[in-house]
Amino acid sequence: MRVLFVDDETEFLELMKKRLVRRSFSVDTASDGESALRLLDETLNSGESFDAVVLDVRMPGTDGLEVLRQMKERRPALPVILLTGHASMGVAMQGLDLGAYDYMLKPVGINELIIKISEAARMAA
Amino acid sequence: MAFWQYLCPWWRKRGASADVGQAEREEALKKAVRQRCAAFRQLLSANKRALEGMSEMEELLCGARLFGMEHVRAASTRVTAAVFQMVREFQALSQGSWPGLPGALERIVADMEVRLARPQDVSPGPLLLPLRELSLADVSLVGGKMASLGEVAVHAGLDVPDGFAVTVAAYERFMAYNDLRGELEHCIRAASTAGLDALFSLSTALQQRVLAAQLPPDLEEAITAAVADMQARAGEDLLLAVRSSAVGEDMPGVSFAGQFRSELNVPPEEVCRVWKEVVACKYALAAMTYRRQHGIPDHAMPMAVGVLAMVRASAGGVAYSRDPVAPGQQGERVVINAVHGLPVGVVDGAQVPHVYVCSHTNAPELLETRQAEGPLPLDEGQARRLARVAVALEEYYNAPQDVEWAIDSTDGRLVILQSRPLQIASSLDLTPHMDSLNQLPVLADGGVPVSRGLVSGTAFVARREADMLAFPEGAILVVERAWPRWAPLLSRAAGLVSESGGVAGHLASVAREYALPAVFSLPGACRLLDSAGAVTLDAHNGRVLSGLPPQGASLTSSAAPPCLMAGSPVYRCLQEVAQFVTPLHLLWPDAPDFTPEHCRSLHDIIRFCHEKAAGLVFRGEGLNGHMGKQLRVGARLQYWVVDMGGGFDGVVAGPEVELRRIASRPMLAFWKGLTAVPWAGPPATDAGGFMSAVFESAMNPALESTAANDMAERNIFIIDAHYMLLQARYGYHFCTIECRAAGEIHENFVSFQFKGGAADLQRRCLRAALLAELLEEQGFRSEVRQDALFAIAEGLDEGETLQKAALLGYVLLHSRQTDMLMQDQNRVEVLRRTWRTDMAALVQDWSQSGNLKY
Repeated sequence: MRVLFVDDETEFLELMKKRLVRRSFSVDTASDGESALRLLDETLNSGESFDAVVLDVRMPGTDGLEVLRQMKERRPALPVILLTGHASMGVAMQGLDLGAYDYMLKPVGINELIIKISEAARMAA
Repeated sequence: MAFWQYLCPWWRKRGASADVGQAEREEALKKAVRQRCAAFRQLLSANKRALEGMSEMEELLCGARLFGMEHVRAASTRVTAAVFQMVREFQALSQGSWPGLPGALERIVADMEVRLARPQDVSPGPLLLPLRELSLADVSLVGGKMASLGEVAVHAGLDVPDGFAVTVAAYERFMAYNDLRGELEHCIRAASTAGLDALFSLSTALQQRVLAAQLPPDLEEAITAAVADMQARAGEDLLLAVRSSAVGEDMPGVSFAGQFRSELNVPPEEVCRVWKEVVACKYALAAMTYRRQHGIPDHAMPMAVGVLAMVRASAGGVAYSRDPVAPGQQGERVVINAVHGLPVGVVDGAQVPHVYVCSHTNAPELLETRQAEGPLPLDEGQARRLARVAVALEEYYNAPQDVEWAIDSTDGRLVILQSRPLQIASSLDLTPHMDSLNQLPVLADGGVPVSRGLVSGTAFVARREADMLAFPEGAILVVERAWPRWAPLLSRAAGLVSESGGVAGHLASVAREYALPAVFSLPGACRLLDSAGAVTLDAHNGRVLSGLPPQGASLTSSAAPPCLMAGSPVYRCLQEVAQFVTPLHLLWPDAPDFTPEHCRSLHDIIRFCHEKAAGLVFRGEGLNGHMGKQLRVGARLQYWVVDMGGGFDGVVAGPEVELRRIASRPMLAFWKGLTAVPWAGPPATDAGGFMSAVFESAMNPALESTAANDMAERNIFIIDAHYMLLQARYGYHFCTIECRAAGEIHENFVSFQFKGGAADLQRRCLRAALLAELLEEQGFRSEVRQDALFAIAEGLDEGETLQKAALLGYVLLHSRQTDMLMQDQNRVEVLRRTWRTDMAALVQDWSQSGNLKY
């Protein structure tokens, strides 16, 4: 399963990548919205796109909700899980309204996240 | 409208048309059923998360756990996101036939948002204010410490040092200038604050950010100018004290004793740098822990700072207008702790002070003097004068006071450095326990009780900061010096012993606040108590005894710990928000007000969606051939089954399905585990609990379905040929078991998730930990968070995955109500052995037969 993980906290990003790879996920990472969208475009063209995206909501530059909106524009069926350290009911509902699969709060258990990614990918398939 | 019509709009449009082939119609129908099942499954999953979020909130409300504003926000967000998803899935399932529902949710969330919103915290006002212009009315601008010191000077007419306050407005300016607020809050919210070590690193990171920030130029200029003015008044050799005076620091019930920083003997040119250090100490571990424990949100405590001229002190200390340890026991008395030089040696607990006891009157008499090492720092006249000032301050503030003072060596003036409300320990009558206590050997004797009480526990000697991390919950903390930095451990300790310090120390104040038995100035405590094992701290008589009191006098704590959260700003906010979350107003599905418009809480919305969705799936007219069915093994059981396709062995007509018609391999495996070993029944501690009803529903075939009409309480299986999801809410218990087992190994998994129980939190946590241990032995990976367990096994072949599903059937049945037993070590051991043996037998039996047929 191929996952795109987007978060501006690179230390966290690398740690999550390592843990997911150890559980046989294939993981691409991006530390801002622009490079995430670029990666998505590249894979769309190559025909080997992601099964799911894990997306931080608060990032410098294009913020998570805007990235989500653009991802959904490009690929409406792509499951996107929002993951944030910033609990906000308004942002949660906005994100879900924009078509996010779920809204999770940091810190998140790796097992919980894996279940969520697998579930999201299965639902989309 | 019948569910049938929601189910398949395509069918509704074209159903009667003769040119549609039978096969095509069936295919479309199957697809629609699958989609609706998926929506229902998603709805159930969101339902579970919403209930979890609600129980998280209820747990916070119990006050058994300490929490901050970020916990309130996180719990609110979790439950809101889940309810939003429920509504979304329900809309899909019901084809939007309840248009009022999203509006109802929006209304409730808006009400919650209002309560969660941070007050606008731009503080207009001057950056600095001279001490002699302050009064209590300025508390929100300069903090309690400086406001009351100003009050003492101006209105009570007492001597205070020269100085000024750097106000909250200056603090806000500094934060805004460096854009620090958002950054710090982001760090706090993103960090895990579950353990002390995580809080350690968060604390360091936050302090570093503050220290790295720049003072706005106008603030730096203002401080420099004010210090130059002081220097002009004092002469060349001015040294300064820079003291925290956070807003809320001295509010009733909290003291923040010593949790913030005071820098003494600061040269004038370093005041700006030290001001920043004092601001940064708001994020010191001790202060953060203390704030968390008292439910004070970060933003509710802006930092004002006092800059005061140092007093050249011949003597200093703390005067209490009442005896803080034994109030009223021998008539009211004023207790003075004194040392030579500045009072710092008293308040940081480093020195053993001399003690003067005076009568509590307007013309106090010196009743008693307890001399420590060296000559007495006060004569009788000074002690009486000091006692009179303490009584006058108590009268002025109309509350017992804790007064920090110094005698100026140049002119003998009595200078007041601080006056604040006094924390008084509740008294405890030990007489009934004395006989049994006197039978225990004495390990250490001759200490000063600083917070009375009696407690037993393991002695733990802490010498270094790193020892804090290893400190076991419920142990008796033994330290050499009564440093305030040990304060974060007090919420986890059962008692406290220090070789130095006295009643007047900050750590003693905090111990009294926690109603924690504590003995200070106990000679040789570290050496005597190191590796002493179980001890009894008699903080009434200032001694430590070996072992536990004999049976019958067993004491685990001196009194119920005070609920520190109650009444705090964070707790009040939680209470207000929870009004829109947890109460259930929609009770009767048949009542006319069972509508979205009458939903007043998130719980109402959860209930509404769940009830209506389950109604669509299980009671849908004309649907009997296709979706939810009640499970029957001879008679009807309290389980309902939804087939997503291939879960039954063919078309099952009517509202029930026999177990033999189930073809879902995960469900059959699970069922096999569930019925493999008969359950012994509920534990003796609770014979009539709700779990016995669950037990009967699984095992008693005579039980009729009328017993559980409430959809929210039903146990629901969603299955296909290779998949099973069981969602059950056994009253207190949220529980989900999910399994996929097919040819593709990388897609296979089996997981078990539960939370809660009927016993208290500690026992529920122990049960979760025990189950995690046993499941790990069986190849699961697990995570335990308090009383919630998440266990998963994945990447196994079909047979192994099914075997694990069977194990979970066994575990689910046999772990019921066992949380009740978790306080008894012997019974826990018996359970551990029994479960281990049974699980091993089940595995062996499985590998021999592997038979799924019934």
